[in-house]
Amino acid sequence: MTTTQHKVKVDITHRYGNLLVHDRLQFSVRENEFLCICGPSGCGKTTLLDILAGILPSSEGNVLIDGSAVDPKRDRISFVFQEPSTFPWLTVWDNVATGLRIKAIKGKELQRRVNEIIDIVNLRDFIDYYPHQISGGMKQRVAIARAFATDADLILMDEPFVSLDQPTRERMQREVLHTWEHRRHTVVFVTHNLEEAVFLGDRVIVLSAKPARIVADIAVPLPRPRDPLSPEFTRIRAECVSVLHSLDPAQGVLPDRRMAKAG
Amino acid sequence: MALNEAEAGPRQALASTPTPPTAGLAEPLPPGSAAWQIRVSNALVSLGWNALILLIFLAGWQILTILINSRFFPGPIAIFRAFVDLAVNGDTGGRTLSEHAWASVQRVLVGFGLAVVAGVPIGLLMGLYPRVYANSRVVLEPFRFIPPIAWIPLAIIFFSGMTRFAFLIFLGAFFPVFTAALVGVSRVEPIHRKVGLVHGASKRWILGHVVFPTVLPDILGGMRVGLGAAWLTIVAAELAGGISLGLGRMMSNYAELVQVPQVIVGMVLIGMLGLLMNEVLLLVEKRLFRWRWQVSL
Repeated sequence: MTTTQHKVKVDITHRYGNLLVHDRLQFSVRENEFLCICGPSGCGKTTLLDILAGILPSSEGNVLIDGSAVDPKRDRISFVFQEPSTFPWLTVWDNVATGLRIKAIKGKELQRRVNEIIDIVNLRDFIDYYPHQISGGMKQRVAIARAFATDADLILMDEPFVSLDQPTRERMQREVLHTWEHRRHTVVFVTHNLEEAVFLGDRVIVLSAKPARIVADIAVPLPRPRDPLSPEFTRIRAECVSVLHSLDPAQGVLPDRRMAKAG
Repeated sequence: MALNEAEAGPRQALASTPTPPTAGLAEPLPPGSAAWQIRVSNALVSLGWNALILLIFLAGWQILTILINSRFFPGPIAIFRAFVDLAVNGDTGGRTLSEHAWASVQRVLVGFGLAVVAGVPIGLLMGLYPRVYANSRVVLEPFRFIPPIAWIPLAIIFFSGMTRFAFLIFLGAFFPVFTAALVGVSRVEPIHRKVGLVHGASKRWILGHVVFPTVLPDILGGMRVGLGAAWLTIVAAELAGGISLGLGRMMSNYAELVQVPQVIVGMVLIGMLGLLMNEVLLLVEKRLFRWRWQVSL
C-alpha cells in the first residue's frame, strides 16, 4: 500500500455536536477507480463527501490526496450535488463554464472545453437557456457537465440521479460511464441504490447506519457494459443485499431519525 | 444519444402557445416574430390605456374647476400656462423652472448615490456577519425611526448648500437600501456557495458570483423605495428655506404669494421626475433579471 497507487486515503472520525457520525472510517481509492459507497439514508454519506472534498473539516483524522491533506484550491476536485445546484442567473453555457472560470481558464481554451462537454451531455440546443426554462433532468445534466468540464482528477457524486425518472437515470448512468472511460478520473459515487452501485462501480463499500462504519468492501470484477440480469451481476448484488440485511437493527444500525438531513 | 428528444425544448413550446405578457419579458425576441408582435401590441395597448386615463383625469379636473370657479383652484390649462411661463420667463427672481428642477435633481442624485454606495456594502457585510449586526443593532436601528425631516433643524445649523441636502437625503435613502441588502443575504443558497468552494473559489469570488447576484434583485427593490424617500426628503428640506434654488423653494415662494398654479407646477414636476427615475430603475431590472421567471410588476 504505497501512496502512489492510491489517489485518496481516508481515515476519519466525525462528530456533529454530540452525535458520532463517522466512527474511524478508513478506506482508500485507487487512481482511476470508480468507487461506489452505499448505505442507509441518514448514515452521513453527504457529510463524508463534504469531508472528501475538503470543504468540511473532520473532527479527527484526515483525508489525503496524492499523499497530502486535501485542499480544494490545489487539488482538482469536482462535485455533483444531490440537490439542484445550477445558478439561476447564468445561462446553461455559463453554468457549465463556472468551474473552469474559477480555475482562471479563459478565451479559446474555455470555449473549447465547455463546448466539448456540452456536446457530450447533449445540451447544444439549450446553451442560451436559463435554468428556469429547462426541465429538472436537464438541470442535473448541466450540473454534471459543470463537474466534468474541469477535467478533475477526483469526481465526487452525491446520489446525482435520485431526482430523475428511470429512463433518464439509465441514460445518465451510461453517460457518466462513457465520460469516465474517456477521461479516466477517480470517482467516488454515493448512492442508496445497490443495483446502481453494482452497475457502475469497480468496488462497492457498504456503510452501516450512524455511526457509519464499513461493513463490506466488495469488488465488482465484471466487464462493462454490464447486464443487470446476468447471473454474475445478480450474485454480487445479492451479496451486497445480504450484507445490508445482516445489520442488526437492535444495534442501532437502522436509519437514525435524529439527523434525517445527512444523506 | 438523443437525450433531448424525450425532453422537448421550451422554445418550441413558447412558439405554439400565446406568450403571457409577463413571461415574454424574460427573453429578448427577434423583431418581427409572433411573440415579438404580441409583446409590442401589448405595450401599445398599455400605452393607449395610460393616455386615455390621463385624458379623463385632466378633463374631470378641468370641468371641476369650471364648476368651482375660484382662483385658488386652477385647472390643468391654467397650470400648463404657468408651467410655460415659469419655463420661459422664470420666477419672480428670474430663475427658470429647469434651474429649480436641476438643483433638486442634483441633490437627489448625490444623496441617493451616497446612500447606495454606503448601504449596499454595509448591508452585505452585516448580512454575511450577522454578529456584527446583532451586536450593533441597538445603535443602528433607532436611527431608522428618526425621520429625515426631524434632522432638518440640525442640518440647517451644521451644514449648508449641497452638504446639507446630501446629508438629509442620505438619511432618507440609506435604510431602505441597507435593509434590502441585509435581508437579501439570507436568500443565498448554501449549495451555490458549496459549488464555488469545491472548485477552490476564493471568498471574493463567492461574494461577487454567488452573494451579489442573489442579493441584486433585493438591492434594486430597496433602491426604488430609497428613491421615493429621497424625493420626500428633498422637498421638505427645500421648503425649510435658506436657499434660492430648488423645486421645494420655488413652491414655497409662490405659496407665500398665494399663486396656486405655480405651486402645483412644482408638485406635478416632482411627480414626473420621480416617475422618470423609477422607470429607469425598472428598465435596469428588466435587463438584469432576464433570468427570473417573473419581472416585478
